[in-house]
Amino acid sequence: MSDRAENTLLVLPGLLLLALAFFVPITQMLVLSVSGENGPTLDHFTRFLGDPYYLNVLWRTVRLSLIITVICAAVGFPLAYIMARVGPRLRLWLIVLVILPLMTSVVVRTFGWMVLLSRSGLVPQVLRDLGLAERNFSIMQTELAIVIGMVQVLLPFMTLSILGVVTRIDRRLEEAARTMGCTFMQTLRTVVFPLAVPGIVAGSLLVFTLSASSFVTPNLLGGSRIQVLAASIYRSVTQTLDWPFAAAQAVILFAGILLILVPYARLAGGRSNG
Amino acid sequence: MKKVISTIAVSGLATLMASTAFAAGETITINSFGGAYEKAHRACVITPFEEATGAKVQVVTAYSADAFAQLRAQAEAPQFDVIHFSGGQEIVGAKEGLLSPIDPASLSNAADLYDFAKANLAAGEGPAYSIAAIGLVYNSVTVPKEPASWSDLLDKAYADHIVLTDISNGYGMLGFLMLNKVKGGSLDNIQPGLDAVTELLDNGAIVVSTSPEIQQEFAQNDAWVAPYASDYAYTLRKAGLPAAFVQGKEGTPASFITANLVAGRDNQELALKFIDMSISAKAQACFAEQLRYSPTNAKVVLDGEVAADVAYGEEAVAGLIRFDPTVIEAKRSEWVDAWNRTIAR
Repeated sequence: MSDRAENTLLVLPGLLLLALAFFVPITQMLVLSVSGENGPTLDHFTRFLGDPYYLNVLWRTVRLSLIITVICAAVGFPLAYIMARVGPRLRLWLIVLVILPLMTSVVVRTFGWMVLLSRSGLVPQVLRDLGLAERNFSIMQTELAIVIGMVQVLLPFMTLSILGVVTRIDRRLEEAARTMGCTFMQTLRTVVFPLAVPGIVAGSLLVFTLSASSFVTPNLLGGSRIQVLAASIYRSVTQTLDWPFAAAQAVILFAGILLILVPYARLAGGRSNG
Repeated sequence: MKKVISTIAVSGLATLMASTAFAAGETITINSFGGAYEKAHRACVITPFEEATGAKVQVVTAYSADAFAQLRAQAEAPQFDVIHFSGGQEIVGAKEGLLSPIDPASLSNAADLYDFAKANLAAGEGPAYSIAAIGLVYNSVTVPKEPASWSDLLDKAYADHIVLTDISNGYGMLGFLMLNKVKGGSLDNIQPGLDAVTELLDNGAIVVSTSPEIQQEFAQNDAWVAPYASDYAYTLRKAGLPAAFVQGKEGTPASFITANLVAGRDNQELALKFIDMSISAKAQACFAEQLRYSPTNAKVVLDGEVAADVAYGEEAVAGLIRFDPTVIEAKRSEWVDAWNRTIAR
């Protein structure tokens, strides 16, 4: 058997799986999104893009995803740096701590937040007792709740992406910067951060895509009054049974993510190479 | 004394054997709705029916929409003998000839039913054997004044203690349509209802999408009033909450649960017996007892506590409103969309 044949054989299962589990449904979705009663149509797209309600849903999805990504990066970078620089034992514990939430179901974690944030939950209760909030004050069913819940769910992805890159940064570079008169913060800003950019970019891509397409957490924490695109797709599929429109929304979400991510990845990629 | 008992037992046994001889070995297939409903269904109708006739009842768990889809798919060779619907599917089923017309004379209990429950027997729509009545479920302890009408919902006194249910939920839909009707809307125009919802939300009302969330609001957030089904007030009370049910004075939207005779089956006689049993005063009293569904049989006698939870008696059922299920089905997606826009922040 030639090398080439062997290679083909090895790659075949993966390709088959991709074709079946990814390309077929995606193609179907694309076809569905332009299907109308009388042949192909763009009606579903014009309906979405011409309607302030849906544009608002789209904007909320993008805005929340951006906020979540920025917070994850701001929290994840220092965390990953410390994790990379402490001793191996402590690092192990920190990694376990970061990964631990990933081992429970997202639904369970979200219910945890519901317990804490709901009207009779711990957080609003304390605020009420301090006289800072009214009887009906609740963090549940607000955008803030979605951001809090999503940041917790997605932080491990960001931290681990950055950690992988930061551990490979040569410590002598930082030592050099310190001997040249940089303060700790300056070292972090001018040496570590630029070198960690590929990790931050990879993490941001992950976090942004995951949060833009997530549906369980926003639905449970945001409630039916705060709609994000994934939840709106779900509603179209299960409640109004308008599958072509659901497919069109999915295509818009997909295209929207691509539009934002491709330039970002190129920009950051070019920078880290240069 | 002993002798009397044994005489009764023997004669009971004899009757049982006589009827067994009539239907022994026969089986009818029905659908039920699963969970607590199916449990009550067995206790109130299925088991007594099996005991009385000696026939076996095979129960398939399928909600109305699924059961109807199956019925349609099996049009050539139907598998159900009696099919139960709660969403008005019998209207379409009768039109499509999937259900058999029923001669009221063949049901010994038909005479006792209220007229609305047997209105279209001749067309093929089976009799309604119980009703889920939608009214106001309220907290009988903390509410500042007891609600009496649908328009009370808009009373500022209740403000942020009101819980609305999303119209993707069947009962939520009926409650909303009622509010719409009270505010001057109709099935052709739901704008007044949407405006009322906007006003309620501005007052601070909460929107939930499932019934357990209603329970949560009552248990933890001091909810006072929620437009919902009478059986849920009972569910709340069983959970230890001080919930009560009242019919809004403008009327009570209702979801009819019907037992329908499937066309093209050969043991229709036995199926009719089953339907007859479903509409009997005894079975309906049992349903009211166990689940707090409202009876459609005028002969049903309920005690005070159960009666307070359901639409009971001639006068109470006179206020029942049935929004045309075919219109609801046709407009559902349009309405859900409009609703979502209204409640979106």
